[in-house]
Amino acid sequence: MNFSDIEPFMLRAFAVAVVMGPLCALLGVFVTARRMAFFSDTIAHGALAGIALGFLLGFEDPTWPMVLFSLLVAAAILWLKEHTELLTDTIMALLLSGSVAFGIIVLSLLKNRRGELHRYLFGDILSVGPDDVWLAVVLCGAIGVWLFVKVSPLALLTASEDLAHVCGVRTRWLNYAFVLVLTVVVSLSIRLLGIILVTSLVVIPPAAARNLARNLRQQIILSLIIGLFGGAAGTVASYHWDIPCGPAIVMVCIGVFIISLVVGKLWVNRPAQEKAA
Amino acid sequence: MSVRDLRVTLGGQAILRGVNLHLHRGQLVALIGPNGSGKTTLLRAMVGLQKPDSGEVKLFGESNLKKALPRVGYVPQRLALDRSFILSVREFLALRLRETQHWFWHRHRDTDDRLRAAMAELGAESLLDRPIAALSGGQLQRVLIIFALLKQPDLLLLDEPTAGVDTPGEQDFYETIAEVHRRHKLTVVLVSHDLSMVYRHASWVYALNGVVCCEGTPEHVMNADSLKEAYGLNVTPYHHHGHSHGPGVTH
Repeated sequence: MNFSDIEPFMLRAFAVAVVMGPLCALLGVFVTARRMAFFSDTIAHGALAGIALGFLLGFEDPTWPMVLFSLLVAAAILWLKEHTELLTDTIMALLLSGSVAFGIIVLSLLKNRRGELHRYLFGDILSVGPDDVWLAVVLCGAIGVWLFVKVSPLALLTASEDLAHVCGVRTRWLNYAFVLVLTVVVSLSIRLLGIILVTSLVVIPPAAARNLARNLRQQIILSLIIGLFGGAAGTVASYHWDIPCGPAIVMVCIGVFIISLVVGKLWVNRPAQEKAA
Repeated sequence: MSVRDLRVTLGGQAILRGVNLHLHRGQLVALIGPNGSGKTTLLRAMVGLQKPDSGEVKLFGESNLKKALPRVGYVPQRLALDRSFILSVREFLALRLRETQHWFWHRHRDTDDRLRAAMAELGAESLLDRPIAALSGGQLQRVLIIFALLKQPDLLLLDEPTAGVDTPGEQDFYETIAEVHRRHKLTVVLVSHDLSMVYRHASWVYALNGVVCCEGTPEHVMNADSLKEAYGLNVTPYHHHGHSHGPGVTH
């Protein structure tokens, strides 16, 4: 196949996928270990209200309202957690359902935007514009560098906030920065993966890597590779078979997860189990 | 280290109601008291994890705790680790060393040798490549002590270090702490429920119940009247292995 034959929208979607895939996967290592998968899901669903609000306010491209509303939802979770006695799960369920309900009501009132709902729920490679590519590359490049610099403090924070504090880590600041980064990355991945499936790219690659890894360094490296492969192969599959992009990426990641589970059980963990026996 | 008129309220309840402590270099100090007496809160306030309503904590004469923290080793009661977090003991320990802050990129042989030597000192060398979330209570406490000792602190704070350790391992564990105290010439502050351990190893004891009920050498503090004041219970001396170890608590 000649490279120049490929449609520009496909190249844009591919570029975003190979940037966002590994980034979501790297973040996911800490998201899963810190039991924040539901948090990620809540801010993704919060984005729907931002998209609807963006259309209502006359934005042709609702990226910024989407990111801002997701940040608002994240801030609301943190504020309610600190200032009320409510359980974190309760707070997130409340904000998730509230945002989705608000978003659907607004979109249903905007007669010419009803078709957008399906596109944002399940992801669409056609919806990735040139500006999205630049935004993803620049912003995610900066976030990727920040994450690699902060891997050690984040690992210590995940192990114990108290120990991290005693070791001189500014725990409060790092917690807020992590939430900010997660919110931006998740909301920017929505165009490709869709609101319903975006969390899977945060959760599945680290889970698959966990099946094969013996330490955190290995899990991070494997997770990056699986995220990259899942994003790239899923986008190509979506283009080739004309299927929705989000589900295609998720199914590739699920396939890798199943292989990792089998390989992990048969080879990686076997010597340890035999030794224990 | 000194604590002056420290007051802490949690959930509307006054946990510490004007605590005063003064520690001397090289002591092994035990904080004893019933559940809810503020032992853990006091220890957390000493390292800035708990903000006091009023009062002052000074470490090494420094009231800015952040400046003093590099000279402090802290061992929390437990780590709430998810089993999916596959941080190995080697990686966990490396996080304590400034020169390995970027351990993801570089793995130095010197660092490995240093970690192996630290683990060997407490007989835990075989745990280096185990995931920290898969360790037993006793193994984890040893690793946490090694973590705390890596930067050669002057002060070691331990919050109920045998909370997750089985009964037979407790005595052995306290022997280890006493040995660490002797060998490293540290000041150790230890929260403990084990009165016989306090009697055997501590050089100074604070009995706490919102305030310091009494303080002194174990022989001075651990008598029926002092413990009754701290615990609100009747206490009698008990005998173990044919000789007196200190008081036991009876209702």
